[in-house]
Amino acid sequence: MTQPEKRKQPGYYPGFSTLSQQHSWDEATRRTVLQRMTHTREIRFFTSQEIPIITAVFDHVLPQSDRDPQYRIPIVPMVDERLYTNRIDGYRYEEMPPDQEAYRLGIAAIDEMARSIHDAPFVELAPLRQDELLRTLHDAKPQAAHSTWERMPVHRFWMLLVQDAAQVYYAHPYAWDEIGFGGPAYPRAYMRLERGEAEPWEVKEQRYEWQAPADSVSDRYELVGGHDEHRATPGQGGTH
Amino acid sequence: MNPLLSGLFNQRNQNGHALGPIQKIDVPMRRYGEEEVDYVVVGVGSAGGVLLQRLSRAGFRVLGMEAGPFWNTERDWVSDEAGSHNLYWEDLRITGGEHPLALGANNSGRGVGGGSVHWAAFAPRLHPSDFRIYSQDGVGVDWPISYQELKPYYEQLEMEMPVAGPAWYPWGDPHGYPYGPHPMGGVGNALIKGCTALGIGVSIGGPVAILSGSHGDRQHCIYRGFCIQACKVGAKASTLITHVPDALENGAEIRDNCMVGRIHLNRENRVTGVSYFDAQGNEHFQKAKAVIVSGYAIESPRLLLNSACPGHENGLANSSDAVGRYLMAQAGNVILGRFEQLVRMYKAPPAHCMTEDFYETDPKRDFARGFAIQTVAPLPIAFAKQMMMAKGAWGWGLRRVMMDYNHWASFGLLGEILPWPENRVQLAAEKDRFGLPVAKVTFTLRDNDKKLIEFGKKKVMDVMSAAGAEEVVQESRYAHLVGACRMGSDPRTSVVDKFCRTHDIANLFVCDGSVLPTQGSANPGLTIQALAARTADYLISQGDAVFNSGRRDMTAPPIRRELAPPGTYGRGIPRLTSSSQ
Ligand SMILES: Cc1cc2nc3c(=O)[nH]c(=O)nc-3n(C[C@H](O)[C@H](O)[C@H](O)COP(=O)(O)OP(=O)(O)OC[C@H]3O[C@@H](n4cnc5c(N)ncnc54)[C@H](O)[C@@H]3O)c2cc1C
Ligand code: SF4
Repeated sequence: MTQPEKRKQPGYYPGFSTLSQQHSWDEATRRTVLQRMTHTREIRFFTSQEIPIITAVFDHVLPQSDRDPQYRIPIVPMVDERLYTNRIDGYRYEEMPPDQEAYRLGIAAIDEMARSIHDAPFVELAPLRQDELLRTLHDAKPQAAHSTWERMPVHRFWMLLVQDAAQVYYAHPYAWDEIGFGGPAYPRAYMRLERGEAEPWEVKEQRYEWQAPADSVSDRYELVGGHDEHRATPGQGGTH
Repeated sequence: MNPLLSGLFNQRNQNGHALGPIQKIDVPMRRYGEEEVDYVVVGVGSAGGVLLQRLSRAGFRVLGMEAGPFWNTERDWVSDEAGSHNLYWEDLRITGGEHPLALGANNSGRGVGGGSVHWAAFAPRLHPSDFRIYSQDGVGVDWPISYQELKPYYEQLEMEMPVAGPAWYPWGDPHGYPYGPHPMGGVGNALIKGCTALGIGVSIGGPVAILSGSHGDRQHCIYRGFCIQACKVGAKASTLITHVPDALENGAEIRDNCMVGRIHLNRENRVTGVSYFDAQGNEHFQKAKAVIVSGYAIESPRLLLNSACPGHENGLANSSDAVGRYLMAQAGNVILGRFEQLVRMYKAPPAHCMTEDFYETDPKRDFARGFAIQTVAPLPIAFAKQMMMAKGAWGWGLRRVMMDYNHWASFGLLGEILPWPENRVQLAAEKDRFGLPVAKVTFTLRDNDKKLIEFGKKKVMDVMSAAGAEEVVQESRYAHLVGACRMGSDPRTSVVDKFCRTHDIANLFVCDGSVLPTQGSANPGLTIQALAARTADYLISQGDAVFNSGRRDMTAPPIRRELAPPGTYGRGIPRLTSSSQ
């Protein structure tokens, strides 16, 4: 299988490090961000059967095989922490079970789909098969485990997964470095606001071409659940 | 020590309670204990903060009950997206209907300052037409007050926050702003370019309740872009830093981490006080001569419904069956454009440029009312979620588009959705940790709403393309919940009168975004605070009559500008007076 080149820091801002600027952050922010980086809590919500499955799922929902292993961002422990401490986003869709139950149902359904379509547990499928199977959730056209998806709208479960993964990954300074986000800026401020100009401590963009692994199907864009209006879901983040 | 007296009190004695890097509260807070107070205000948010300040300055004994914490901004707030989730109302609510609303971080706050802590601080006024859309366009409902009645309070609150913006703002009732406009960030420049190319007028640098110059013990904006994560700098207005300090100075008490569960009524149909749960979950009763509910468009109706009692089986003040109904949200689609050149939209406050050219009803369109277009600027996590919705990004596709974060700019549609009785807050079967039924929110768009959104989002996409974006995508979104305890003259179809007094109970008031009968296409925060100041003037003019008479005096008192927090009125802030008096 072809893989993108492994890097300490993927992205177009070589050498950019938000952490190198932590001397200019306020104390409370520094504490919050550094704590996140050293989070090593044991898994308390997911069961030992669920851990390998959910780990494999997040390896596809937010793949990191282009990162040097020591620069990968742990997703499962943070999602586990959220579910164990019942930190919810403040609401639940009326046709959805609580997040914890949704994860238990969803993990079981993904494994059931693998067994019924490929006659093997999800974790033993080849990466391409795993990616394709997850893509059917994205498209809201699951090919098996229908009894679960009748109880829980598949597109909502899918968005829960993607959001949880994104919420953990893009909260991490390594991800900020990857995308060129300047990070915390109090009390120092940003001074160069226009024309996309970089602060003196930010880095100029240097683009390069890269390809997703050949055994993946997530590097193309189609709306969740296709263009079905009934699947339309409002944006989840506050903006204005 | 009584748990109610610890917390804030102790912290302050240690090293001063910080409200921004400069402002500190140093006086010990007054504590009423179980003594009867004049007013209990439930919820110290956008409206509650202003009410507490005005009523305490006028000499009333007022107590604010706040479900969330009393923030010490230096200790509790961070310049970090994921670390700011506790600013929002995170307890369970159920959302449904054909177009279910996202709640939580998308909508409401918790803690002293409420939603004004995490708002983007766009602060436009409603237009005069908004107060009579039924007479004018045959849709929605008219307000029981006119724009002219609210106008002095708009002008007043624009100085108290204060609002920065252009010296000449041409839409609605034209006016100018007391503080100078802000410099542009990348998103504002894109909006200017797109609007200018299409001949659309654009307001540059505001109106936004963010300091463009320092003000008293608050410093000016440092353009760090974390407004929605709460402004640690103290530049963005929140009632926590604009009104609460003066309220405490004047003897108001704020009891934080106290969740009000029920309002009590006696046999004479008068409110006697509230019961609430403290931080340890213990229930207490607080006596009050009058109660003002300022808990937000979801929690206010929830509290009234949860306070049902004999004689008020459908909830307090609900003889009209309007409590919880006519809930509104504005269409808040986010339109995202990718540019060849870098934008870096995380710099500058998200709110810094907008247009109201499409605000009014246009007979050439096939729907009533209109919309605004505003700058927005999601930080990485919010942007990733938008890419999931707008492009269906996940896996490698998500990683790829996120690497282009700095090439994207985003505009927000802000469109008027009309009030419908079926869009409502009810009680769900689920209970919260105090055993109180949680809110269930039902939301479905109607024909006019759908047409408006379709037209509006296409227009914003055109502006984005005209700005030079090579790829333009969008996600649906709804913002700013209001309504659900609407004001009106007819007790059969509304919950409160034009002074926010419930039609059914003489000493019970609702004053927050939930009283709005319609919402226009202006962000609601300024209107909510202006209404709170107006309500306070009325209550002050009524004196003890609120506490011991059932008489409903409907005369509006003159504005009491001298009740503003010190240094915010009559201090030589230049203003243009509008011509359309
Ligand atoms: C991301 C985001 C951006 C926004 N941007 C803007 C903007 O740019 N401009 C604008 O005008 N508006 C904006 N808003 C909307 C604005 O924040 C709200 O409209 C406004 O704060 C509502 O004011 P309120 O007084 O009705 O309620 P809130 O300000 O929410 O206050 C209610 C308070 O009551 C408390 N409470 C509720 N129930 C109880 C109870 N039972 N017991 C005790 N306390 C209780 C809550 O904890 C809360 O603190 C934004 C909102 C969000 C989410
Ligand atoms: S951009 Fe300005 S107003 Fe917004 S958080 Fe930063 S300093 Fe405060």
